Parts: sequence; structure tokens; C-alpha cells
Amino acid sequence: MFTRLAHLLGKRMQLSAQQQQRLNAWKDLPHAALDAPFSGTRCVVVDVETSGLNLMEDRLISIGAVAMVNGQIAMGDSFYVVLQQPTISHKKNILLHGIGGAEQTEGAPATDALLAFLEYLRKDPLTAFHVTFDETMIRRAMRQFLGLSFKHPWLDMAYVMPALNPVLAGRRRSLDDWINCFDIRNDARHNALADALVTAQLFQVALAQGRKKNITNFAGLLDLERAQRWVRGEN
Amino acid sequence: MSAIHSSQLAFLAAHAPFNRMEPAHLLWMLERMKLAYYARGDVIVSPEQGTAEHFLVIKQGMVQGEQNVADASVADTWLELSEGECFPLGALLANRPVASVYRAGKDTFCYELPVADFHTLLEMSLPFRDFCTRRIANLLEHSKQVIQAQYTQSGAEQQSLTSPLSAIIRRAPVTCAPQTSVREVLQQMHESRIGSMVAVDDAGRPLGILTLPDVLVRIALPQIDLAQPVIGVMTKQLSTLPPQALAHEAALMMAKQGLRHVLVVDNGRLVGLVSEKDLFAMQRVGFRQIGSAIRHAQLLEELQQAAADTRSMAHNMMAQGVAAEQLTQFISTFNDLLTARVIELECTASEFCTTQLADRLCWMALGSEGRFEQTLSTDQDNALIFTVPDGMTEDQLRGQLLPIAKRINDTLALCGFPLCRGNVMASNPQWCLSLEDWKRTFSNWITNGTPEALLHASIFFDFRALYGAHALAEELRLWLVRVASDNTRFLHQMAENAMRLRPPLGVVRDFVVGKEHMLDLKLNGITPFVDGARIFSLAAGVTHTSTIQRLRASAAMMKVHPNEIEAWIDAFLFIQVLRLRHHDEQKTRGVSDDALDNLIDPERLNELDRRILKEAFRQARKLQARLALEYHL
Repeated sequence: MFTRLAHLLGKRMQLSAQQQQRLNAWKDLPHAALDAPFSGTRCVVVDVETSGLNLMEDRLISIGAVAMVNGQIAMGDSFYVVLQQPTISHKKNILLHGIGGAEQTEGAPATDALLAFLEYLRKDPLTAFHVTFDETMIRRAMRQFLGLSFKHPWLDMAYVMPALNPVLAGRRRSLDDWINCFDIRNDARHNALADALVTAQLFQVALAQGRKKNITNFAGLLDLERAQRWVRGEN
Repeated sequence: MSAIHSSQLAFLAAHAPFNRMEPAHLLWMLERMKLAYYARGDVIVSPEQGTAEHFLVIKQGMVQGEQNVADASVADTWLELSEGECFPLGALLANRPVASVYRAGKDTFCYELPVADFHTLLEMSLPFRDFCTRRIANLLEHSKQVIQAQYTQSGAEQQSLTSPLSAIIRRAPVTCAPQTSVREVLQQMHESRIGSMVAVDDAGRPLGILTLPDVLVRIALPQIDLAQPVIGVMTKQLSTLPPQALAHEAALMMAKQGLRHVLVVDNGRLVGLVSEKDLFAMQRVGFRQIGSAIRHAQLLEELQQAAADTRSMAHNMMAQGVAAEQLTQFISTFNDLLTARVIELECTASEFCTTQLADRLCWMALGSEGRFEQTLSTDQDNALIFTVPDGMTEDQLRGQLLPIAKRINDTLALCGFPLCRGNVMASNPQWCLSLEDWKRTFSNWITNGTPEALLHASIFFDFRALYGAHALAEELRLWLVRVASDNTRFLHQMAENAMRLRPPLGVVRDFVVGKEHMLDLKLNGITPFVDGARIFSLAAGVTHTSTIQRLRASAAMMKVHPNEIEAWIDAFLFIQVLRLRHHDEQKTRGVSDDALDNLIDPERLNELDRRILKEAFRQARKLQARLALEYHL
């Protein structure tokens, strides 16, 4: 435990003055107003690829994100980074996300990659499908490489979609289930950027559905998610 | 900051015009685009929103355009756009609001580019600009290249009949002054090993031509004085074409007029000579040979051979991407020649003295033949018109004509023109009439306007003279446009009738293509244009019979913008090309003449052709909308 902590502190010490400055600048950004209407806000839809599904052991390999600006996906306002890996992930894992060994070792140094992500994100709220996974992986990496306790508002489409479509919900669980349901085509499944894009498309469907229920801001959808968790007996 | 996944680029690059744009321009565009979602039924853009603000590309889903008519109950779906298609180009280019309401037909995602970026992209990317400004023309060009590529195996080494004459001219023409002696000219022809000599004036304008065969008939046999000026023995009626004219035009000219040379003349000046031999290199059988074979045919077998040659030449021309207009014109020209020869032969065989009645009789082509729009599947549609000579009754004359007409119809059938199922043929006593009777018949149709009369009008009103006293048919034509243009009730009925055939909305899944899942290119594709053009021409007093000429000639009267007319014509011609290709394929598969059809399976078209076909149907609907406006339907 102590060695691990030391390791973490050690990494943190490695932030250069400039990197520290970038991190501070991000920290100083004002928090987003979650009750602002979607028609005038930005939020970021994110997806990550990892070396495996173990939340404590596996490493973050790539982050893909697209921004939803005023309810539309801004194609130019998107983000993708592959983090430099100390060791290459298993072959099976490579086959899943398609990021090969060379690409893994040639990726951006984790510190820079994460700082770039923060600068891209600003303080705008995050959305993902099955947040627990993405959030945990990103949090762990933020703590490990930036010494940052990354506490951020997250919205989980895995709860929002069934809440808005109780009839359709049935046995639908995965991202694939839901995108198929709305005929959203994913041309590159298990690429973090492509998955983020289809998640964002799903988010757009949710926004349109939410409008009909007078849900017009992020906070409204968070309430919906919370209610859905309660329905499922998770809270 | 931006990261665009390659699959997004790949998606765009699978559709026109993006497939022709530079990747850097595509990326530039994509970075500026927003992806928007519209639930089924949502309005995407409408006239009320004012000047169009976005260029939209459908990523997935389907968009319907609805005509924004005042009476919402008849709101009419106008077009259907699917994945990869973009809109509203017209409104963006003209900086105006859209004319239709665009609505999501199902859950739809669209990439949207702000109008300012759209205009920048127009400046930046030539393929994009070309596509936006000449949409249908551009798609057609695209398609032509695909066709040419498909057919190249069948004519790889053939120089294309679509090349301009300027590309075919081998060398500068050898010329002489008109006053040069015949001896000198013959000497030079011999030395330069040339088959013809053109006399030109000081400005290089051609005055006459002398060819080797002329030497025999005009010089050697009459034993003329070789010291006299050559101009005296030259042919002075010259057939000329400009350098930008295409090879097949020269070929057609040679075939029609029985020539071996066509002079290429630029601004009056002789720039070259194209001989039959030059064109022969492009075709196994020359145009002129077929023409001449038909003109001199004596036996049925010779006519049948000529008909077969005509078809195989049509196949070659199609392979070379010759446009539908020229192709159908080509087919009509040779069918006319053949019909004329069959008439001559049968008249002679019946010992019917044509000279005596030559100025009293006219064989008329009707229907598609009358419109010069024959494809390879053409039933006979013909009729006779005559004036009765003194000392003879109408019935007596008809009694003489019908048996001959019957023989003509039968011979034509043996040459690959199936008998008309509706018996619209000259051998039918109903359609072998004097000028007066034709006027009476037409009058009845116009005043009665019964469904049968309207059906007849749609076949007979496309008549034209094919053989004999052209003046008779022309007189009937002039009389018809005068009578019809005054009769708005009849035109209204024709328009109403024409509107019954609605062009399909989509092409594949969206259109009920019958139980066989087939699309009838004639009924659904060609007929709306043909019907519309006929009505416009009758209303405008235009005497042309071809759909294209009718549309062009009536544009001004109908107050339709020339660009719009050209788009209709492009659309019409494209559907004709599809029909021709379809017939060609059927023939290749060994389908017999009378079994050719116009049914295609839209699923089998390539993506590009499907899109153009859709665009063509859209144009057909525009033409019908114009008709509806004109006749308050």
C-alpha cells in the first residue's frame, strides 16, 4: 500500500512547472451550471478503451470524446488520444479495440494526454454509457498521473435511455442494444471516438425525448437517472 | 481541438460528390459540421424559417420534402432523400428560403454545415461546386463514365464516336485554287496519294470537292479537256460540320446523304476533311454502309441484315457512351430509311405506281417513332394520309392502299418491328384516311375528350411524315396546333389524364414497385415527360414532335426557365439511357424483339444510377407540378 502511494506521489512530482500551470488553470475554471438549458450549453460525451475490464488493475489506453454544443454534435469539437503504455496489452484485448502494440507504445505520455483531455473538457459535464467504468478508469488515471481527484458531474445513458423508454427497455442493456434500437450505425465499434459518437447520437435522441417531458437541462436528466437507479433498487 | 474518426470520412467518401473531393477539403468540411438529430416527423427546414442557413447531408434516416401548398390537405410528398444525399442546394445557392418543407421521414441524423462555410467550400472545391451547380448534369457525367468503363471490354481499341472531329482530323487538308487546271489537280492527287481535293478561295473557304470516283464519271468517261479549271467538275454542294461536332454526327450525315467525305469548317474556313475511312476505323460496320445497304436492298434478307446491323451499331454506340438523344436519333434515322425502303419495295412488288400518287400519299410515323424516340423495343405505330384524285372515291383508293399497307406492316414485322397490338397501323381501315377525314377524326377527339379519345390523342398527335407527300402531314400538323391551342378544355383534360401517372417517390423500398418488385421505366419514367411535352407543345402551338424539341420550343410560351427545361430534358434522357441499356442487355441475353420490356429491378442499379433515377423522377414531378399549375389541377 505504501509503495503504491509512494509511486503515485512520485509520478505527481514529475509534473513540470508548465504542466502544473496547465492543471491549475483547469482547476480555476468556473463550474458549469447544470441547470442551463441544453440550447445554450456544451457537454462532452466520452468513451474509453482499456487493457481489460478490471477496474482496479487494468490501464486506460485511449479516450475518445465529442462535444454536444447547443444540442448538436460539433464534429470539429472532438477529442481522441492514445496513452503511452508501459507494456502492451494482451492480444485478445488488442483485437477488441484495434489499437496495436506499436500504437500503444508510441502514444502520448499519459500526463500530457490527460492534461489535453482536461483542457478539451473544460468544466463541462460528462456523459457516457455505463459511467462507472469510464469514470473509474479516468479517475484512476487522473490520480495516478496528475495527482488530481477528478470529481465531475457524470450522466449515464445506460440509465437515462430506459427511463425515457420504459416500453423498449425490456432486456436492453448494452450500448449496442440501444443504438440498434434507434438504427444508429456504428462503423467502428470499440474505437473510443466512434463509440463516443454513437453514444452522443443516443444522447441526442434522449434530448429530443426529454424535451417532450419538459426536461431541458443536464440537471433534469440527472434527476431522471437517479430515479431510474432507485427503480432498479440501486440507491 | 478536433479528432474525426476515419469512419466518418469513409461514410462521406462513399457518396457523390464527396467521393470526388480532396480528403483535405472533406476534413475541412466535416470539422465545421454539426450532427443534428430529428425524430420522425420533425421539420428540419421550412420556408417559414427564412433564408436557408445550413447545408445538410443525411448520415442516416430519411428526409421527405413536401410541397408547401396553400391547401395543407393536399400536401404532397415531393421527394425522398436518403443516406448520403444532401439538400437544400437550390435555396443555399440562391440565398433564399427553401421552397418545400423538409421533414424527417424516420429518425434521422444530419450533418449540418453553416451556409458561410458552404460558400467557402464552393470556392475551395471544384468537384463540390460542379456538383452543386449542375446536380443532374454532374451525376449524369459520372454515370456516363461508369457505363463507358463497363462497356470498354466490348470496344477497347475503338476510337470513340463521341470524339470531336477536331481530334479525328489526321492532317491539314490538301487544297487548290478553283482556277487550277484539272490536270494539275489530278497530278497532285496522284503524288500526294489522296482521294479527294478541295478548292478553296483566298480566305480558305471551301468552294468545291473532287473525289476519285468523280474522276471516272466526270473526267475520264466524258473525256473533258484537262486544261480547264477544276472547279467546273467539282461538287459544289458541300456537307460541312464544325470541328467541335462529334464523329457520330459526321457518320450520320454520311449515312443520310450517301457521302464519303465531310468537310470540317471553322468560321467558314476549311480546317480538315473527315472521310468515311477515318470513321470506319471506329466501327466494324460503317454508318454509310448500313445506309447504303438499306437504300439498295432488294431482298427481305438484306433488310433484315441491315436491321440487325443497326442494332449492333446501337450497342456499340451505347458502349461508347453516346448520349441518349443521339442514340435514339440514330435509331430513328435508320428505322426511317428501312421503312422507306420497305415501302418502295412493296409498292413496286404490288405494281402500285408510286409516282402517280406520290404527291397524294404520305406514310406517317406515330407514337415513339413519330417523336424520334425509338428504342430497341418498338412496336409499329403508323398510318396513311392521302388526298383522293379526281374520278376516284375515297373508298376506292383505300381499297387499293390497304393490301399494300398490310404487306408493308408484315415486312416491317419480319425486320424486327412487331405488329402493333392495338392495331394502330396503316393497314387498319380506321387509320388509312384522307386529310379531311383525319381532321374530322382529330376534331371529334378534341371535342369529346372521352378516355378513348385521350388515349388516341397520345399516340396520334405525335405523328410525322415518314415517306411520300410530307406536305399532307405538315398541313395536318398546322391545322392541329391551331385547333388544339384554342381548345383549353381539351388541354385541361389531357393534363388531367397525364397527372394520373405519378412518378414514384423513392426508387427502392419507398416505392411500391408492383408485385414483381419491378419499376416500369416507360410508364413511370418516360411517359410523364412525353405527355407533359405534348400538352405544352399543343398549347404553345409548337409543331415539333420530339419531346426534347417540344419542351425547348414551348419554354418561352409556358414561362419556364430554360435551366429548368434543360434539367427536365436531362432527366428524360437519363431514363431513356436506362431503357436502352435494359433493352440492350435483354437482347444480349437472347430475348426476342416482341418480348423486350421496360421493367427494371431498381435494386440491381448501382447506387449512382439509383440516385440519378430518383433525381429524374423528381424532375418529372416538377414538370407535373407545372402542368397542375397551368391547368389548375
